[in-house]
Amino acid sequence: MSETLLEMRKITKRFPGVLANDEISFDLLKGEVHALVGENGAGKTTLMKILYGLYSPDSGSIHIKGEKISIKNPKEAINCGIGMVHQHFMLVPPFTVLENIIIGEETQRFGILNEEKPAKKIRDLMERNGLIVDMYAKVEDIPVGIQQRVEILKILYRGAEILVFDEPTAVLTPQEAEELFKTFRQMTAQGKGIIFISHKLDEVLEIADRITVIRKGRVVKTLEGKEASKSLIAELMVGKPVLLEVERPDVSPGRVILEVRNLDLKDYRKVAVLNDVSFSVHAGEIYGIAGVEGNGQTELVAVIAEAAPMEHGDILLDGKSVANWDVRRRREAGISHIPEDRHRYGLLLPFSLAENLTLGMHHRKPFVNRFQIINRNKIQEHARRVISIFDIRTPSELTPALALSGGNQQKVIVARELSAEPKLLLAAQPTRGVDIGATEFIHNQLMEAKKDGRAILLVSADLDEVMSLSDRIGVMYKGRIIKEFAREETTKEEIGFYMMGEKEHGRN
Amino acid sequence: MAGIKLRLDRYKLLEIFAPVAGFLASIVVLLIIVIVVGESPGEALTAIYKFSLSSSAKVATILSVSIPLFFAGIAVAFAFQSGVFNIGAEGQYYFGGLIGAMAGIYLHLPAFIHIPVVILFSMLGGALWALIPAILKVTKNVHEVITTIMFNSIALALVNYLVNGPLSGLGQGKSLEPQTAKIQSTALFGKLNGFFRLLGWNIPDYVYLDYSLIVAVITGFIVWFVLFRMRYGFEIRAIGTSLDVSRYAGMKVKQLQLAAFIISGALSGLIGLQEIFAIRGYYTYGIASGLGFDGIAIALIGKNSPLGVVFAALLFAFLKQAGYGLQFYTSVPNSVIYVITGLMILFIVVINEVVAAYIRTLRKKEAV
Repeated sequence: MSETLLEMRKITKRFPGVLANDEISFDLLKGEVHALVGENGAGKTTLMKILYGLYSPDSGSIHIKGEKISIKNPKEAINCGIGMVHQHFMLVPPFTVLENIIIGEETQRFGILNEEKPAKKIRDLMERNGLIVDMYAKVEDIPVGIQQRVEILKILYRGAEILVFDEPTAVLTPQEAEELFKTFRQMTAQGKGIIFISHKLDEVLEIADRITVIRKGRVVKTLEGKEASKSLIAELMVGKPVLLEVERPDVSPGRVILEVRNLDLKDYRKVAVLNDVSFSVHAGEIYGIAGVEGNGQTELVAVIAEAAPMEHGDILLDGKSVANWDVRRRREAGISHIPEDRHRYGLLLPFSLAENLTLGMHHRKPFVNRFQIINRNKIQEHARRVISIFDIRTPSELTPALALSGGNQQKVIVARELSAEPKLLLAAQPTRGVDIGATEFIHNQLMEAKKDGRAILLVSADLDEVMSLSDRIGVMYKGRIIKEFAREETTKEEIGFYMMGEKEHGRN
Repeated sequence: MAGIKLRLDRYKLLEIFAPVAGFLASIVVLLIIVIVVGESPGEALTAIYKFSLSSSAKVATILSVSIPLFFAGIAVAFAFQSGVFNIGAEGQYYFGGLIGAMAGIYLHLPAFIHIPVVILFSMLGGALWALIPAILKVTKNVHEVITTIMFNSIALALVNYLVNGPLSGLGQGKSLEPQTAKIQSTALFGKLNGFFRLLGWNIPDYVYLDYSLIVAVITGFIVWFVLFRMRYGFEIRAIGTSLDVSRYAGMKVKQLQLAAFIISGALSGLIGLQEIFAIRGYYTYGIASGLGFDGIAIALIGKNSPLGVVFAALLFAFLKQAGYGLQFYTSVPNSVIYVITGLMILFIVVINEVVAAYIRTLRKKEAV
């Protein structure tokens, strides 16, 4: 039996109107990965914020190595050996990796920064944990996956023994995630304890020694990693059996809605990001794009939805070229778009739900009259209808979008884009960062749209998602669609090969 | 459901409470400063009261003083709503006022046309002065703070030259101050004092409650209506919130920015109406300066909403009068009065922001 690093006993935290944590007990052993799973709003984040000293609990106690402590702020948490890797990184982009790691802990002599000593210590940490980073590179110049390593080094540098990871793989490619898990194992081998928060149950099953499921602020169960299964965890999280497999309606595809012909695109460095891409999507069909992120998927969607300028090629919607149309005209012609980066593109946060639910159609009848005066009754009516159809949890349609949880915000975007009754729906990472319940819901909505005869282009980094939803699958690698499959004629493994570019040269 | 309603009301209450708290806090600081400079707080408060609220004439003066401040505030607020930081209201009203005055001096029209024409020309002048910075921003991405500040200096120099040179009307008036020729009587703004007297509000003749008050009320209403009831206003507020989201939703971001910038300039053109067409009757280099910058603070305190700007302009007018009161009745130095006004603005803005942030966290915590 290994030593207990951390014990949180009967933590209770109440917010106005919400019991966020209800006598939650949670412990972490030396050398283990303990996964914390639950739907959005289940209370995971609150519990971790209490551990990190951002909230104080109403009742309950925290013990580290058997000693009762109280944590009033993150500084004290760090002193107690608790480190947290946030979902959104806390780095200073123009600073070097080294500077970011030592920030706030600088060693100095006569007021002059000493970088040698820390550099040595960091090099040692890198080697022991398999976290190799160029120390003198600027953070703004390195990719997200590497930035995460900097975050980890930062907390290791401060001597953390209890490491909390909040959805660390959300920003990583499958390969980077594998690397991260290797680091996890190296760290646990050194006796550190890891709390792992994730929505991706496959990952949880892969890496966790124990899994604690919480629902509505209470611990439902703590499972041994070995005895757990995906469906069991999902059921515990949601409180009822969940269909992990989507029910696929039998729709025979109709006419071609979207046709992309020989698309070429170069980025600002004149590097080709799309290279002779051609494919088509039919009415009532879901065309999935599989691929490791960064192989041109984002740009492909941008060219179709956002009128990003392209080098060469043509885009046809229902037989008409839309290549020279602006975003508004494309939307009016029936293109809807669930954006990949919804924090950046999806919602006007301070605006009401009603306003957000008409965004993009706000300039059309019946939402404005012919004098361009807004018809607020119609907007609110529309919002109430959409809110009830799509089961968006909100106090009212006049609530500002910022007052909604992440999952509900995503639902708002899906609802809005589908309620525009598009011919073509571009769904980019439609369920990223969304909990199981909402994922199931969004998948069903996509199936409904398919049944209604809409053409859907699905882009997802989650291969399981692409496999279970799509009728046809195109694999993207280095800006090309290197292979196209009908869903029945392929396997996950085969697609995986193409995703890695393994079969690229064997194509011709 | 009742619980939710109650909570929404609480946010509203907090929002109203914020500026009041800022105001009260700054009064406390004012008294401390007064004590520090060796004056009696009681006397200071009496002085402020005497000069601001003691009679209907004083209250009317505050209203009068607030009119150009309101225009300045609403002009800056309109640009803020679209995310454009128009620091150039100053130059825009100098130039706009000049164009308006030219129309008042050189066009021969009956009064019922002449007055609307000079108002439109003032707006046109202001819009024209905003046009180049606006185009530079939209096409070349040149930051408007830089260009509008430069254009302020250019406007001042240009107007100084014109009033001293080609447009000089010296010899017509008695003053030696460089000025244009007199504006024709058909373009002069009459007073509304008589009308207010009919309503039972006894305002002496030396207080200027002139047609510009009507223009202000109409402008305020139109701006509110456009911003909050019309599609283009919605789009302007949207681009001010997020350019990315607006572009994604198909809005023509560049055109909207250009339009908002130019409209802001046109509104700035109205700042000088009262002084030029009601008080002086001619245009001079010496028209009140700094109003464009007051507009920034007013927009900030008024949170860029037309109604908020009304209250902020009144508050500013009150502060100006209170300052005169302190100057007149006490020995509090002039510079200290500026410090106090500055502190008041700071307090209100900071407390506003703190409360807004608090409301945001409350809402986040209650997120469903």
